[in-house]
Amino acid sequence: MNEVIQNSTNKQTHTYGESLWSKALRKLRKDTIGIVAFFVVLIYLGIAVGVCLGFFGSSWDRFVTDGYSGMSRQHIFGTNLNGQDIFERALYGTKTAFQIGFIVAIVATFLGGILGAVAGFFSGKIPDVLITWFYGVIDSIPFYLFVAALAVALADNPYAMHIAMISTFWTSTCRIIRGEVIKIKHLEYIEAARAIGVSYTKIIFKHIIPNTIHILLVQSTILFVTAIKSEVILSFLNLGVKEGVSWGLMLAEAAQEVPAGNFNNFIAASGFMLILVLAFNTFSDALQDALDPKKVS
Amino acid sequence: MDTFIYSLRKFFQSIPLIFGVTLISFVLMVYFGPDKTYDLLGKNPTQQQIEEVHHQLGYDQPFLTRYFIFFKEIITFDFGYSDSTGEKVSSIFARTIPVSLAVQLPILISGNIISIILALIAAYFRGKMIDKSVMFVAVIGMSVSYLIIVILFQIIFCSSYGLNIFPVQGWEVESFTSYLKYVTVPVLASVFLSIGYNTRFYRAVIVEEITKDHVRTARAFGTHPLKLLFKNILKNSLIPIMTRIIITLPFIIIAGSIVLESYFSIPGIGLVLYDAILTGDLPIIKAAVTWTAMIYVLSLILTDIMYTVVDPRVTLK
Repeated sequence: MNEVIQNSTNKQTHTYGESLWSKALRKLRKDTIGIVAFFVVLIYLGIAVGVCLGFFGSSWDRFVTDGYSGMSRQHIFGTNLNGQDIFERALYGTKTAFQIGFIVAIVATFLGGILGAVAGFFSGKIPDVLITWFYGVIDSIPFYLFVAALAVALADNPYAMHIAMISTFWTSTCRIIRGEVIKIKHLEYIEAARAIGVSYTKIIFKHIIPNTIHILLVQSTILFVTAIKSEVILSFLNLGVKEGVSWGLMLAEAAQEVPAGNFNNFIAASGFMLILVLAFNTFSDALQDALDPKKVS
Repeated sequence: MDTFIYSLRKFFQSIPLIFGVTLISFVLMVYFGPDKTYDLLGKNPTQQQIEEVHHQLGYDQPFLTRYFIFFKEIITFDFGYSDSTGEKVSSIFARTIPVSLAVQLPILISGNIISIILALIAAYFRGKMIDKSVMFVAVIGMSVSYLIIVILFQIIFCSSYGLNIFPVQGWEVESFTSYLKYVTVPVLASVFLSIGYNTRFYRAVIVEEITKDHVRTARAFGTHPLKLLFKNILKNSLIPIMTRIIITLPFIIIAGSIVLESYFSIPGIGLVLYDAILTGDLPIIKAAVTWTAMIYVLSLILTDIMYTVVDPRVTLK
């Protein structure tokens, strides 16, 4: 008899005891393309860390030749019109991209997560009305024009671009988290917490936000890619990176060089960027599939 | 009559949104905007001169008064004159928006038709090789930067390093053939890019519809696959698709054309905005920001009204 009970409980822990995370990890391991994409992103991260530590990419602004030169052993991708090594610049651009991606993705997801949780928890009440009004307003202004307007207000602040991205990108996360929290807050454990008098702040931060982490994770990977892609356009519009070099600035240079037949800058910058963004998008998809229990594919 | 009252109520509900948009634009571009006093005065102005100019420009007015002046500018579309060319802002917009429409409408129509067809194919063969390859192309389209595509298409179609069959840039449109000559490459580049995002979105919408019971029943009755796709599936998923098209419309026409038109030197609103951003031409940016936002809010109302007209399941509440 005892054995039977033990057996059945064992069985239960096996089928029901699997957490969202271990299940996701199991699913993710099976997704070969997702894993490959993840390692590609890791390699890029390695490059970015290497540039930060000064292993390579440090001579991105040195003038090594007189004007444009083709591919050679010293300069793998040749040099640009100013005589700067393109490969070094592309490596340094990786660091810039990760810097922008990380700052924007982390801060915007954080902001969107908290505001979304607050709005969802108080849905229909004043905080919710204010927050939904606020993201409705932000969403109504076209992004590139919003950045231009913000650049006017912030004058020459080198972080104007980061601020602009953060203040617009949080809205999508906020919207999704708000919807999710409206679903979560009617679950029994939240009602129980309210019944025994747990404070609202504690419920939101301890019981609600931890249950939306998987959404926040996917959102942050999406925002990371969006930030890197937006940087290119903003740098082309002269609203982007002010210090150092980025793939966007390289592409803006390339736009001047391509008509003259110098493709190296274009190939290097777009190649570096395309592979990273493609890998990150693929990884983000794999993560989304792994974390979504109801995913129809 | 019901629809009319419903529209009216929707309009009043959107007033806070319009208020918010104009307030943010005001704070960013007027209240904290650049001080024009010293541009108008010579060197070493006296305190009295500064105050005089401040008064003329209205800088000494309280916050609310200045906001109402700004609001009046928006409603009457009287943003004054461009800082760099001196032309009236409203006449710049009237001159350039038709050009942008001539470029953006073909992009919008062909981009969406191709995306919907690809999405239908991918959703119908869900999980099969065709689906996977369509989605792979879509992810590539999503991953490439707009700027890269524009440069690449120009190399391929317009330069002597590629096919060299279209002019590199410019806009000398006199007849339909010259229109085609200048419009083809920009349209191809944008359509390629829009397919990425659209196909993914549309496929998700269609997949949701395809798994519903009524589709299975129709299939069991032996409905022809094409009839099934277009009548039972596409018709039912039209609401999210139409919403997406209408909502992205103002953004595409004003903001989306910045890169395209500046790179191909098309004298549309995008090129005007590009120059305005580079030179800090505030009257033009103000007009573009506020009016795009207002049109966006109006199109939100329009989609809500459209729901009730298209789909009898949506009730007027």
